[in-house]
Amino acid sequence: MIALLLRLYPARWRARYGDEFGALLAERPLGPFDVADLLLGALDAHLHLRGLGSSSEHRKGLPMSLRLGGFAAFTGGALILAGWIWSGLDPAESDPGVLVFLVGAVALLVGLAGLSAFQARTHPRLVWAAFLLPAIGGAAMTFGGLAMVAVPDAPIVGDVSGWYFFIFGLLATIAGSVLFAIATFRTGALPRSGALALGVTSAISLVSFVGALGLGGEAQPILMLGFLAFTVGWIVLGLQAIRLDRPALVAGPA
Amino acid sequence: MVTPLPELGRFAEPALLILVSLSDGPKHGYAIMADVEQGTGRPMGPGTLYAALARLEERGFVEALPPVDRRRPYRLTALGATTVAEQLRELSAFAELGLRRLGQAPR
Repeated sequence: MIALLLRLYPARWRARYGDEFGALLAERPLGPFDVADLLLGALDAHLHLRGLGSSSEHRKGLPMSLRLGGFAAFTGGALILAGWIWSGLDPAESDPGVLVFLVGAVALLVGLAGLSAFQARTHPRLVWAAFLLPAIGGAAMTFGGLAMVAVPDAPIVGDVSGWYFFIFGLLATIAGSVLFAIATFRTGALPRSGALALGVTSAISLVSFVGALGLGGEAQPILMLGFLAFTVGWIVLGLQAIRLDRPALVAGPA
Repeated sequence: MVTPLPELGRFAEPALLILVSLSDGPKHGYAIMADVEQGTGRPMGPGTLYAALARLEERGFVEALPPVDRRRPYRLTALGATTVAEQLRELSAFAELGLRRLGQAPR
């Protein structure tokens, strides 16, 4: 009887679950409710779960966006901070530091896209709306930074130099990070402590940058605080996302 | 509006019951069925159990452990733990709202 019922399921489903499912069915006598439930389960497996278990494309796809997003957010935050420090140490030879910064900016964009894709499964409108501003900011910041390295101080669009694209992009990325943190907190798909950390640090960073705008040389420590806060927020969220992909700590099997 | 485990359709409720069952440690299929029946007073059929379990595994909410005598235990992933906690918080808030509207205090 059990073997016959099992034969109703697709072969690939049986290859993955057949042995344990057979053991489960053998543990207790099957009543009419169980048989009806099995028939519906077999129909469902044929309609929706044909490749389940043996084909793990979907399984790979979802955690991949989480894994990639988390790793890229962590790396992006760390590289942006390292690039900023590097270029600040020797302003006369700042190009290598700026390039590290820009690699970090690209990584941050990848992280933003990955974490957005992961969260968009449950709250697509909210997440993609929150994705827009930091994504546009990150792209403008990267474009401006590359222009600053390639044609320093020269206008690239009308009278606007790469520096202005860079500053606009940076401020938009930081402001957008606050929005992204709020959306992330709202979805609950990632740890809320990470979303809170990103929101608070990005807000501190935004206040620091806006506050430093009218200052001269004394703005450097405030800008440093802003960069430190902003990057630490992304590093924390990235680490939280990476840790989310691990098993929960629970007791031994029942 | 509370939408428990969106995308799972009619398996949303069994999926939530399974996640709650695995919240205190790994269990194999039969132990999950017994735990759900004890907790809710309603049986969960084996076809429903594995349809929901397969979807949860596919989405990374649970993961299979090595089998012991053909019985394969499953455990909650960190993602599953976060998800079930969030779902339960939403359900709790929804239940409180309903009770307040009925003029009854939550127990």
